[in-house]
Amino acid sequence: MEDKKLTEKESLEVITSMIARTKQRYIGDGRIMLMWGYLVAVVTILVWGMLATTHQHVWNFLWFAIPLVGVPVSAIMANKQQRQKGVKTFYDKVTSQLWTIASLSEIVVTMACIAVQYFTGASCWSAMLIYTLIAMPIAEIAQGLLIKEKSLTVGGVIGLLVGIVTVCCVAGGIKLYANWYMPLFIFAFVAMMVVPGHILNHKARK
Amino acid sequence: MKELNPLLHSQLRLAVMSILMNVEEADFVYLKEKTESTAGNLSVQLDKLSSAGYIVVDKGFVGKKTRTVCRVTEQGRDAFEEYVEALKSYLNI
Repeated sequence: MEDKKLTEKESLEVITSMIARTKQRYIGDGRIMLMWGYLVAVVTILVWGMLATTHQHVWNFLWFAIPLVGVPVSAIMANKQQRQKGVKTFYDKVTSQLWTIASLSEIVVTMACIAVQYFTGASCWSAMLIYTLIAMPIAEIAQGLLIKEKSLTVGGVIGLLVGIVTVCCVAGGIKLYANWYMPLFIFAFVAMMVVPGHILNHKARK
Repeated sequence: MKELNPLLHSQLRLAVMSILMNVEEADFVYLKEKTESTAGNLSVQLDKLSSAGYIVVDKGFVGKKTRTVCRVTEQGRDAFEEYVEALKSYLNI
């Protein structure tokens, strides 16, 4: 393409052709989702294992490994992906803002749980579980609908169903015992992050 | 009939503006690939659009490599929309 003058008809052709070239649907790969999915699964198994063998609640602090590792690593990975693509679309912007809101509110909920425990002595950590399994699936469903990717929508719906079960258990006074709740929590993250992550990677390789 | 904006009525500048109207931002490599232009020519046209206030060009570094990112301004958006309206009147569409 050169710096040449155009006829009106040629101008219209340039505009339509450039719009068509930028309209390609870019779903991206699933590396960030896989990182989060495996990180949550590994940390959950570790906490579960340590609680079961030592009966020391101090092992709950391992949960903090999820945001401490996940947030910086996903930021680095997202920046790298953005540079490789060379373009940021409206969908990228909305998706990024969606996950930023979900993640930041998750951090606020965690801080609130710590504050409640510190100032009142009451344990409200189930609020964090509920929030995680409501906010994250909703963000994922929204992303799936936005980029028209079924695996994300289905994964999000499964995660949300587990979230609803958690809400009902907490509201109904049913204890979330580790021996059944931890596997359910891992299952939710596998369905939400690991499975869609592998599907996206497979599609990206095609 | 309204005159077509001469700054936009050029193949490469119009192509760049059409792309940037469609995305939030795009880097130099992406624009070069999509417009199938040479680096030198693209660089000159980006400078012209930037001087007119139609686009913002951010030059940064990624490691040791430079990365130039462009995005359209409100002024550029208005100019492009006016250009398309004028084009429609010329083509009777």
